[in-house]
Amino acid sequence: MATGKTYDPFAGYKLVSEMWEKQLNGLLYKLTDNKEFVQTANIGLDAYSRYLERLRKNQELIAAFMNIPTKKDVANVAKLSIQVEEKMDILEEQIWNLQEGLSSLNKGNLEMFQETVKIVTQMKTEFQKMAREVSETKNMKADLQELRQGLVDMKIIQVNIQELRKEIDGIKSIKVDIKQLNDSKESNHFQSDIQELKLGVAEISNMKTDLAAMKSLIEKDKQKKKKEPEKEQDKELVLTGVSKSK
Amino acid sequence: MSTKALESNFLLPIKREAKRWNQLYKIMTEPKPEIVPTPRECVWKKNKTTLWFHPAKEKKYETPIFLVYSLLNKVYILDIGEGSSVVGGLTERGYDVYLLEWGSPGLEDSHLTLDNYIIDYLENAVKRALRHSEAKDITMAGYCLGGTAAAILTSITNLPIKNLVLAAVPIDFSIGIVPDKWLEGLQKGQLSFDRFADAHETIPSEFLYLMFRMLSPVYGSPKINLITRAHDEKYVEKWRRMDKWTKDTASFAGAAFKQMFNDLYRDNKLLKGDLMIGGRKVDLKNIKCPLFVFSCSRDNLVLEQQSLPVMELVSSEDKTYKVYEGGHVSLALTGAFAGIMDPWLAAHSQEIHEVLT
Repeated sequence: MATGKTYDPFAGYKLVSEMWEKQLNGLLYKLTDNKEFVQTANIGLDAYSRYLERLRKNQELIAAFMNIPTKKDVANVAKLSIQVEEKMDILEEQIWNLQEGLSSLNKGNLEMFQETVKIVTQMKTEFQKMAREVSETKNMKADLQELRQGLVDMKIIQVNIQELRKEIDGIKSIKVDIKQLNDSKESNHFQSDIQELKLGVAEISNMKTDLAAMKSLIEKDKQKKKKEPEKEQDKELVLTGVSKSK
Repeated sequence: MSTKALESNFLLPIKREAKRWNQLYKIMTEPKPEIVPTPRECVWKKNKTTLWFHPAKEKKYETPIFLVYSLLNKVYILDIGEGSSVVGGLTERGYDVYLLEWGSPGLEDSHLTLDNYIIDYLENAVKRALRHSEAKDITMAGYCLGGTAAAILTSITNLPIKNLVLAAVPIDFSIGIVPDKWLEGLQKGQLSFDRFADAHETIPSEFLYLMFRMLSPVYGSPKINLITRAHDEKYVEKWRRMDKWTKDTASFAGAAFKQMFNDLYRDNKLLKGDLMIGGRKVDLKNIKCPLFVFSCSRDNLVLEQQSLPVMELVSSEDKTYKVYEGGHVSLALTGAFAGIMDPWLAAHSQEIHEVLT
């Protein structure tokens, strides 16, 4: 009483029962742990199974005679429904696959449409660009036509130039011919020129000598006039001397 | 004697006992509790299988979680009720959760093999979850045999599995909790369930419950625990849910049952790398994603040694193994599974703000 605990008869009961249980189980374990028991058990199992088989067979036979469905018949019907269920499952899986395929297709289509829209808008801008370019091209065409006209003119000019070039070539060839001719004439001309020059030089030297003679005469006149006081007379003399020499 | 002492010595124990027996009477007379799931919507249904979507309360992570539970038990152990729900815990932490409910096969499903379960149901469910979530990848989380199925699928599928979480997962079937001679008998073909499975076509849930009970034939501890703590309302509530789940085992397709015993228990093909599922060879080396495996220290259904080999078999560079205190289902029942996964998942899931920024 001092500890405050009351006597619990169940605690002891539990302890004893558990002990008994353990020991009895151990005893049974040991009793059955032998070859003979296993063989006997096997024989017992076989006999039981054989009788059960016979019972089932007879049951089926009687039921067949009496036209009564047995559990086996019900099981066969159940099997059919299980088969249907299995088929449904397979179909469901196929539907899933289809759904997945379709969803992936839809996804693909959506992507394609998005791409198409993108392309169309791109094409629109491209068309606008192209329209602008076409107008520019028209202008260019006019320019080109002008250019073409110019080209035609240029071609004509080119033809003229070619003709001119031909003519120039002709002239050149004539020139060459002339040059060749000139080469032979020039040497003659040179000689005649040299001779003319020589003659000229001889004339110049004659003139020099004449001038020197005239100079000496003038010097003599000067000396004479120094003696004359009037300058007027010298001038007349010089002028008359010049007019006389002419 | 004071009134206080009188109260503590006589009145309180009387009140407690009255409550205890009242609760026990209720359990015996009232129907089993209704399990209210975390808000959810059905994403896909095929035969008896349903794929549930539990949206996050406030979504924090882009990567959803795909939960797979064992084929032998009902999945609602992962969503057993508010406060102790694994699914609820994960949605509260910001994860979108997809929960695969295998459903109980009927006679018409007797031909279903592990190949069908893993390829036709699990792989398709993951595909649907990925499609529904619109996430680029997903985290697979498997508990018990659900973990085995998740590991098998991860190793053979091309689906984008970002992370793999395996809880209490059996990979090595050569060891187990059953007596050694039983395993030996299974491995040597002295004990075969083939004819049993063929005769039943679909193994009824009662047989599977019996099979679980045979693993520990004397099974009084849950009831003893209940009687001992019946005055605790919260405990009683949890116990009732657990009790409902334990007795509510699923039936199992005969073909898958045979395949499980022959390929896994007898030939241990998963560990050896010889298992073929849907024409594809199951090689756990193909698991390259980050891996988180954990076991329960007091697991009496799947031993730690059964889970450990997966760590060596996978090619994942980022792999973590941990052992937590608890039994096989206690982490699921208490909702602790969500708390255990959260830190690891948070580090391995894509956060939403990362995407937005």
